[in-house]
Amino acid sequence: MTRRMFKISAGFEEVMPPEYRELVEKGPFEKQLGVAELGTFKELLEEHPLCAGCGLALSLRLTLISLPSPEDTVIVGATGCSSLAFPQVAVHNIHSLFGNQNAVATGLKRALSLRFPDRAKDVVVIAGDGATCDIGLESVMHSWFRGEKLTTIMLDNEAYANTGGQESGMSQLGTVLNMAPMGKKFKKVAFPEVAKAAGCVYVAVAAPHQPRRLERSVRRAILIAREIGPTYVQLYTPCPTNYKFKPADTLSVIREQEKAGLFRPDEYLSPEAAAYIQQLEEAKG
Amino acid sequence: MYVICKVDEKKCNGCKLCIWACPDPNVIVFDPDSKKISIHQARCKGCGLCVAACRQKALEIDAV
Ligand SMILES: Cc1ncc(C[n+]2csc(CCOP(=O)(O)OP(=O)(O)O)c2C)c(N)n1
Ligand code: SF4
Ligand code: SF4
Ligand code: SF4
Ligand SMILES: [Mg+2]
Repeated sequence: MTRRMFKISAGFEEVMPPEYRELVEKGPFEKQLGVAELGTFKELLEEHPLCAGCGLALSLRLTLISLPSPEDTVIVGATGCSSLAFPQVAVHNIHSLFGNQNAVATGLKRALSLRFPDRAKDVVVIAGDGATCDIGLESVMHSWFRGEKLTTIMLDNEAYANTGGQESGMSQLGTVLNMAPMGKKFKKVAFPEVAKAAGCVYVAVAAPHQPRRLERSVRRAILIAREIGPTYVQLYTPCPTNYKFKPADTLSVIREQEKAGLFRPDEYLSPEAAAYIQQLEEAKG
Repeated sequence: MYVICKVDEKKCNGCKLCIWACPDPNVIVFDPDSKKISIHQARCKGCGLCVAACRQKALEIDAV
């Protein structure tokens, strides 16, 4: 990531906020950094208002450091808990009407390809489960049908968390929440399978209990979307506030759900995507 | 009552598991020289995820 993007114009050093100066001096720019180096540089995410112990906040933090070239990335967000963190993110990001995220991302990607034909520009959608599988389903699915070269990342907390706990398509069967008192009547949508059938060439399911795996999924998804076609990453990001468990238990909840067979890390590559990743790995040596 | 995380430096072996568990950015800082972590307490929300991740029992949640 190039330092020039965030350089402070001469004479303005004193008036910039200390957090910004810290970002310029100690940010991840011009270095090849990843999850392994967290804790040694100023992150692209600043202090945010998400709840203590939020699995979505942790996943967003890990996702941001996994972007292969943040200076050439535009993130498209959606309404939901994550949208409260995006004003604190030092990567270009767009917020539009709820549910429109993959349509906005499509236009953006096409415009960027025309404007910068020789430069890879990554357009990455990061949105909640409600935004992706329910309210924005149509724009998500059609972007996949059309083969748009986008990465779609779902922050799956299995609820509409930001509006006080309604069930989403991604909630588990029987889920009871503040505003779903009767218990959910149908199964969690098998969205990774839907993504494969709809044309995604890379589909991964991960969670922040395995940060290196999460990093690999996000990186691969973005690199493959540059060259091959649409990619989808589903991150399981438990919500202590709506699911009413202790904030300290967010990561153990993931392990328990995995043991119970309700969460399963996974990775699918189409033959073309697999060949491309192999080619990248061989080039790296 | 506000609570935050505190580290017992003598017990910390620098494994970084706590850094990967913290939902908040720039809170837990790794010092490459001492190979130990420190905590920017004004940024900590006291969630305890780092405490649960630490195998050395070097972390605890305490009153500010
Ligand atoms: C067009 C529109 N419909 C409904 C809402 C209300 N709304 C705000 S956030 C939200 C739920 C978001 O759920 P999800 O996408 O899972 O994100 P989370 O808050 O769980 O991270 C809803 C329904 C809105 N802001 N705009
Ligand atoms: S309500 Fe849940 S998902 Fe939203 S910020 Fe709080 S813990 Fe995170
Ligand atoms: S998890 Fe514990 S031992 Fe490892 S770096 Fe953190 S405080 Fe130190
Ligand atoms: S208590 Fe929570 S916010 Fe504080 S350092 Fe530990 S993981 Fe981070
Ligand atoms: Mg949600």
